[in-house]
Amino acid sequence: MKISYNWLKEYVNFYLSPQELADKLTNAGLVVANIQSVEEDFCLDIEVTSNRPDCLGIIGIAREVVAVVGASVQLPETNYISIDPRSESRTGIEVPKLISIAVEEPILCPHYTARVVRHITVKPSPEWMQKRLKCIGIRPINNIVDITNYVMMETGQPFHAFDLDKLSDQKIIVRRARSGEEIVAINGARRALFHDMLVIADGKRPVAIAGIMGGKDTEVSESTRHILLECAQFEPRQVRRTSKATGIASDSSYRFERAVDPEGVELASKRAVKLIKDLAEGEVAHGVIDIRSGKYEKKRITLRIERLNKVLGLEIKRTIASDILKRLQFNILNEVDTFIDVEVPSYRGDVYREIDLIEEIARIYGYNNIPTKTSISVRGSVKSKCEIVEDSVRQFLIGIGFYEAKTFSIVDTSPLQTVNLWSDRVGVNIANPLRQEESRLRTCLLPSLIRTKTYNMNHGVEQVRIFEIAKVYLAGEKLPQEKTCLSILADVDYLTLKGIVESLLLNLGITSKCEWMKIGVIESKLFISEKAATIQLGGERFGYLGEAKELELKTSPCMVELDMDLLVKMSSFSKKYQTLSQYPPVLRDLAIIVDEEVTWASIEKCIATTNPRSKSRTSVSYLTGINFFDIYRGKQIPSGKKGIAFNLCFQAQDRTLKSEEVDIALQKILNDLQETLGVELRKQ
Amino acid sequence: MLEKLEEVKRNIQSEIKSVTALKDAEQLKIKYLGRKGIIHDFMKLIPSLPAGQRAAIGLRINSLKTEVANIVEELIKKFSVEITSKAKHEIFDITLPGKRPLVGKKHPLTQTIDDIKEVFARLGFDVVYGPEVESEYYNFEALNIPADHPSRTDFDTFYIKNDILLRSQTSTVQIRVMEKQKPPIRIIAPGRVYRPDTVDARHSFMFHQVEGLLVDEGISFADLRGVLNQFIKTYFGQDVQMRFRPSFFPFTEPSAEVDISCSLCKGKGCSVCSYSGWVEILGAGMVDPNVFNAVHYDAEKYTGFAFGMGVERITMLKYDINDIRLFYENDIRFLSQFPVCTRTGLNEDQL
Repeated sequence: MKISYNWLKEYVNFYLSPQELADKLTNAGLVVANIQSVEEDFCLDIEVTSNRPDCLGIIGIAREVVAVVGASVQLPETNYISIDPRSESRTGIEVPKLISIAVEEPILCPHYTARVVRHITVKPSPEWMQKRLKCIGIRPINNIVDITNYVMMETGQPFHAFDLDKLSDQKIIVRRARSGEEIVAINGARRALFHDMLVIADGKRPVAIAGIMGGKDTEVSESTRHILLECAQFEPRQVRRTSKATGIASDSSYRFERAVDPEGVELASKRAVKLIKDLAEGEVAHGVIDIRSGKYEKKRITLRIERLNKVLGLEIKRTIASDILKRLQFNILNEVDTFIDVEVPSYRGDVYREIDLIEEIARIYGYNNIPTKTSISVRGSVKSKCEIVEDSVRQFLIGIGFYEAKTFSIVDTSPLQTVNLWSDRVGVNIANPLRQEESRLRTCLLPSLIRTKTYNMNHGVEQVRIFEIAKVYLAGEKLPQEKTCLSILADVDYLTLKGIVESLLLNLGITSKCEWMKIGVIESKLFISEKAATIQLGGERFGYLGEAKELELKTSPCMVELDMDLLVKMSSFSKKYQTLSQYPPVLRDLAIIVDEEVTWASIEKCIATTNPRSKSRTSVSYLTGINFFDIYRGKQIPSGKKGIAFNLCFQAQDRTLKSEEVDIALQKILNDLQETLGVELRKQ
Repeated sequence: MLEKLEEVKRNIQSEIKSVTALKDAEQLKIKYLGRKGIIHDFMKLIPSLPAGQRAAIGLRINSLKTEVANIVEELIKKFSVEITSKAKHEIFDITLPGKRPLVGKKHPLTQTIDDIKEVFARLGFDVVYGPEVESEYYNFEALNIPADHPSRTDFDTFYIKNDILLRSQTSTVQIRVMEKQKPPIRIIAPGRVYRPDTVDARHSFMFHQVEGLLVDEGISFADLRGVLNQFIKTYFGQDVQMRFRPSFFPFTEPSAEVDISCSLCKGKGCSVCSYSGWVEILGAGMVDPNVFNAVHYDAEKYTGFAFGMGVERITMLKYDINDIRLFYENDIRFLSQFPVCTRTGLNEDQL
């Protein structure tokens, strides 16, 4: 809402510079975003919150100034002389004889008034009016249009002026639109109208979309001689819905949506007619058509002084509260020590409860005059497991050189982004996307990291190590399932990334082993099939790890996506200290030859499950570590086989192991390996 | 025997000539003076000699041993010096750059959220999370924003279908927490929110907020001012000033927007604060009784306050970042700029 500094002074006396005024208004809740000097005037751009439509007119702003500086509001001149219907020459010039008006929808249009001015001269409006309109950014058009704009900016009440001669059958009907009807609005937009829209119609067709915009056919033009001035009230939600449906918004709809002063029509209408008579040399037809359903009852509210002070944390006296309310034009009905009964001005629709009065008092008293108390009780905050694990994961990855990325949850529908690692169901789409590039909630984090990798490569960063912890969105019953995932992408090899995951798990106290299995068809859209794995943890799907398909990349980094919720579930904080053995470990290096198909996992499992034959403790149970060294294929290894080197570590907590008992254990393990997996020792 | 010893002596003389490096000298030492060396072999022969010759030959062998030892030591010394002097030509450059380990960083937005969490944790606030895909009820109705209400204009929203939407504010979490829990409540809720804004340097269709809520008996607007003042002093610095301005949010009454004194110009006015000396950082207010009614709290008995802040905005202010899009491009050159420590909670009067 833009206002002119000089114009404002017409309604209230104050001695503040534009900047001082702006500061006062800002502190009272009307933020002045900008002050611009315009010729000999200043334009103040005020941010009016949606609960204060009364401040969408300069008089409303003047009332706020009054509340702040303590003066009084001077309302504008509204008296005019209409043509005496009894005079000889003008017999019959009464509004009801010139037009008939029917309101078929009194709920959607609780108040409709029409006044008529005849024999007007349409011409440019006077200099002073043009200046003021220009100051607040409104382009002058002609005296009639300018006056309707001027009075709307003054009072906050919108108008519409019809060319009376162009209305069919001398009729105005406020009704719902009929199917098949359409209108070309003043701005040239042609719109089909529907039954749920309210229109102003003449005897034949809609001539305005109620409260939003008039029709082109009946608008005031250079040749207009007689005008009908509509000043009415329309139901806010109706205006809002129709404005949205037609895509037409105007200064008028903006005000009606927020609700105009239910008692404001009379003053505004008279004010506009007076100006039309004065500035367009018109003859005002006698009388007015005024159709109003119901009577507006002013709201009464009781303010308890104790409650006021309890909510604000203040100790202000009743007299101060009552003085503030008076300055805000609230009518004090009754006032005793403990409470005040007030009547709310009609234009303050936002004030209808005690709490609203409390805000009014706080606002004018000054938010910054309220103390800053620090007496809330002491309380130790606690953390959820999820928060602790997330923080730990982040800290772990940062510690080993990874950058955290944050990418958008809303993605495009390219084949890369539509990969769904976590669910068979279709993804969740946005019904009203801004652009096709952002139209779907992601089902997987990795594509966004791949994009991040590409972005960095295109900007000269060759190597990246990045991760993200964020949600994926999987179609659900009512609301989608939001699963938190951890996703990592790095220019490292498969075993390095796998090692990072293994180490992460160990550091989160997860002792259960992951199972690594071949990936399926869907995952192969992201990963190179033979260099990727589906990971299971604790019998549940945990994630996917492997080398990225080339896709948009020139390199093939490795990447992993894990179920963060499962990671949180499996994490354990109950680790206890283990005594350090005082006795030396016995290490045995082994080099074996096996078939290509035999996996390390099966070798490891076989060794770990080799049971001592007798019930007594044997040295096999002193096996404390199986450490893989490397794998090799070459001249010395027959084709179809591979060599694997590793060592076994034996250690006891209570004594030094004898070489002979380790030999027995080793033999037992080798026998088992040979029987179950056909493992042979490599000859040196 | 003596002849043999002379021969050894001659051999050594000729072998010396072919010694060109330290390792040759050391080999020579092993060959003659080692435990299985030539001279040792002679020593072993002494007991088998006729008694009369033993002493003389013994002396002879010993003098040879001394002689050889001297020669070898000389050689070793010579070549060792040579190595040291060679090293003196290759001067070690202590100013060469160090080999830096890979160091990762939290995303600056995570850092900001963590800092905010830390400050509020000290004031007894727990962290809670809520869903991002929500029903209209949690995003609007329960927060006192009825359908077709003009205040909805302030909340343009992405819809999934019918009454399911992407939350446009983290205030949704207030309702979810109060539905489940009775007062006292003291929480903050960080998270992603979504609004259909066209992306530019100042706008993003996805951004982050941190919501706060405190409900108990006897909580007042003065407590809200107290808590936010503590937050601002700890997070932004002890010398930063706070300003409350009346505003409107459907879910709080009274409502306020909270500014801090511009730390760049110290309140004098600059482009960051639009020459006002103040920078808006959060919205706050007393929980509206209608919100308490929606969660079946006794609005006469309990009062409380809520506040919300934009994480991007605060981060941009803190690091003087002028384009919100940088946060989501994840350019390593951007991400690597931020220090691992932040000044949150810093007491400048102490080391």
